[in-house]
Amino acid sequence: MKNTFTQSMAWLHTWAGLIFGWLLFAIFVTGTLAVFDKELNHWMQPEIPATQVSQADAARRAINYLQAHEPQAGNWGISLPSERAPGLRVSTGERRHGGGVQLDPRTGEAIEVRDSVGGNFFFRFHFTLDLPRNWGIFVVGALALVMLAALITGIVIHKKIFKEFFTFRPSKGQRSWLDFHNASAVLLLPFHLMITYTGLVIFMLIYIPAGVDALFAGDTRAYFQAQGNARMEQPRGLARQPAALVDVAPLLAQAEARLGPISGLNIRNPNTAAARIEIRPELGNRIALAKGQAMVFDGVSGQLLSDVPEWRAVPLTQRVMVGLHFAQFGGYPMRWLYFVCGLVSCLMIASGLVLFCVKRGRKYASATADVSARRWFRVAEVCNVGFVSGLLLACVGLLWASRLLPVELIQRESWEVRAFFGVWLLALLHAGVRPARRAWAEQLLLTALLCIALVAFGGFEDEMRLGVAACALVLGVLLGLVGWRVRHAQPVQQKARAGRQQEAEA
Amino acid sequence: MMMWMTGAVLFAYAGMLGLCLGLERHYKQVWHRSCPRLWRIGLRSTGWLALLASLALCAKAWGWAMGPVAWFGVLSLAGWVLVMLLSYWPRLAVGLVGALPGWGLMQVVTSL
Repeated sequence: MKNTFTQSMAWLHTWAGLIFGWLLFAIFVTGTLAVFDKELNHWMQPEIPATQVSQADAARRAINYLQAHEPQAGNWGISLPSERAPGLRVSTGERRHGGGVQLDPRTGEAIEVRDSVGGNFFFRFHFTLDLPRNWGIFVVGALALVMLAALITGIVIHKKIFKEFFTFRPSKGQRSWLDFHNASAVLLLPFHLMITYTGLVIFMLIYIPAGVDALFAGDTRAYFQAQGNARMEQPRGLARQPAALVDVAPLLAQAEARLGPISGLNIRNPNTAAARIEIRPELGNRIALAKGQAMVFDGVSGQLLSDVPEWRAVPLTQRVMVGLHFAQFGGYPMRWLYFVCGLVSCLMIASGLVLFCVKRGRKYASATADVSARRWFRVAEVCNVGFVSGLLLACVGLLWASRLLPVELIQRESWEVRAFFGVWLLALLHAGVRPARRAWAEQLLLTALLCIALVAFGGFEDEMRLGVAACALVLGVLLGLVGWRVRHAQPVQQKARAGRQQEAEA
Repeated sequence: MMMWMTGAVLFAYAGMLGLCLGLERHYKQVWHRSCPRLWRIGLRSTGWLALLASLALCAKAWGWAMGPVAWFGVLSLAGWVLVMLLSYWPRLAVGLVGALPGWGLMQVVTSL
């Protein structure tokens, strides 16, 4: 153990930061990309047209299609075109994700759209690491706790938070890495704390189920009903009596007036006397995340059966925290704020990882260090490259896979995911066989090239795809600059001097 | 809407710059001489005032519920950009604040 409090905090920060930082970096990068998940979805499915069709018209066409093709289905789901998701998708059954048929909102005809995991992959990876759902949630939760611990210990061991609030001294080796790590962490501390804490709050009932277990004897359905989320009972017989469906357009207008922009609707037991129309709001109409909320109308008379429930103070608090994490509110300017803040967080983590190796580089590079210590140092170095630049390469690799894999490939989505992990694995192997600095430069430059070349896929007539391409271009150029810098920076004398100076200070 | 947001960003940057130059170390970094005490107090207080103005503009753009959330983001990013610029192009970092009068002028012109 270490002697003083600060020293043990520094020890914890260093080692927890290194070991868990690799995965935390992946979580932060995919989380940052997931801010624009729907834009990426749209980019990765170039067949979906961008159209200006009113939601009422789109809904009518969707219902016509379903009447023609699925009149007997027990449930119709319709995702309406909206600002961030111009597609019109219809589905049957209870499956919430995937499946369904894409329609052209202008004609109501089915269109062939390639299967793609889309930006949803980044979203899912962000909170499950692509593990089975609950396992993933626990692993990511544990990592979030480590992140929180790293933030707190970071504050403790940073002796000059205010004195060095604005300090960054470039081109000074280790000192610069530390400055950069500190400045990015301190200036964005509100964001880091908020995003980590609210991330834990999302699944608080999974992490700490004791309260619900005690109050509702483990019956989570009773718990949700107590919050006003009860699904309405329907007399069974009615579902067998045929009845004509009401026109949805006025209902949509009514729901929009009450809830703001609409994301889609569900029609249960269509064409029967028991028909129910549930209309869901977009998530971003307020801070509190409105997931799972809907206004329910009678499908025959068009009467409002139940309004969205008002949350009580405690659930509302949780919803607001979750909403703060999901960043669906405030429109595109807010989305960009979250995105750029996320990018700086990624840089903060990455610079911390690099700092670990820079700090120890001289010690272990010399032949005098003992063999096993040198071997462990090499492992850290390889993982740094593989988990930082390797992950970036994998992310852009996924975008390429979504466009390059044959459209008719069976289980196309899982091939995309395989491409993602395949590229990541290759990057790790590549890092293992190349000297660290070369590996950094090569992977960063390759990532930059792939990002910039995404522009070649076109799609500029569409604002959202243009946005994705432009963003990839800018990020590519920045990554290219970093890669170029790594390639041409000479390991200067200054580095050693700065290191010595710091040791003298400490 | 967009104008309020731009203003919020500019004021946040100006505020951070004021607080930054109110520190001896950074005043020297830019102007290569030490900062008179009165100046330091002036810079710091204008800095804080500008940050408050930024909060007000965020609230105007997003409302008082979302505004403060955006404000924290804008403050952080403005500070971060300032730090990055300051070490490479200190004069440019200070000069950027000149965008603020430009924004003010635009406000006046559009409100006429």
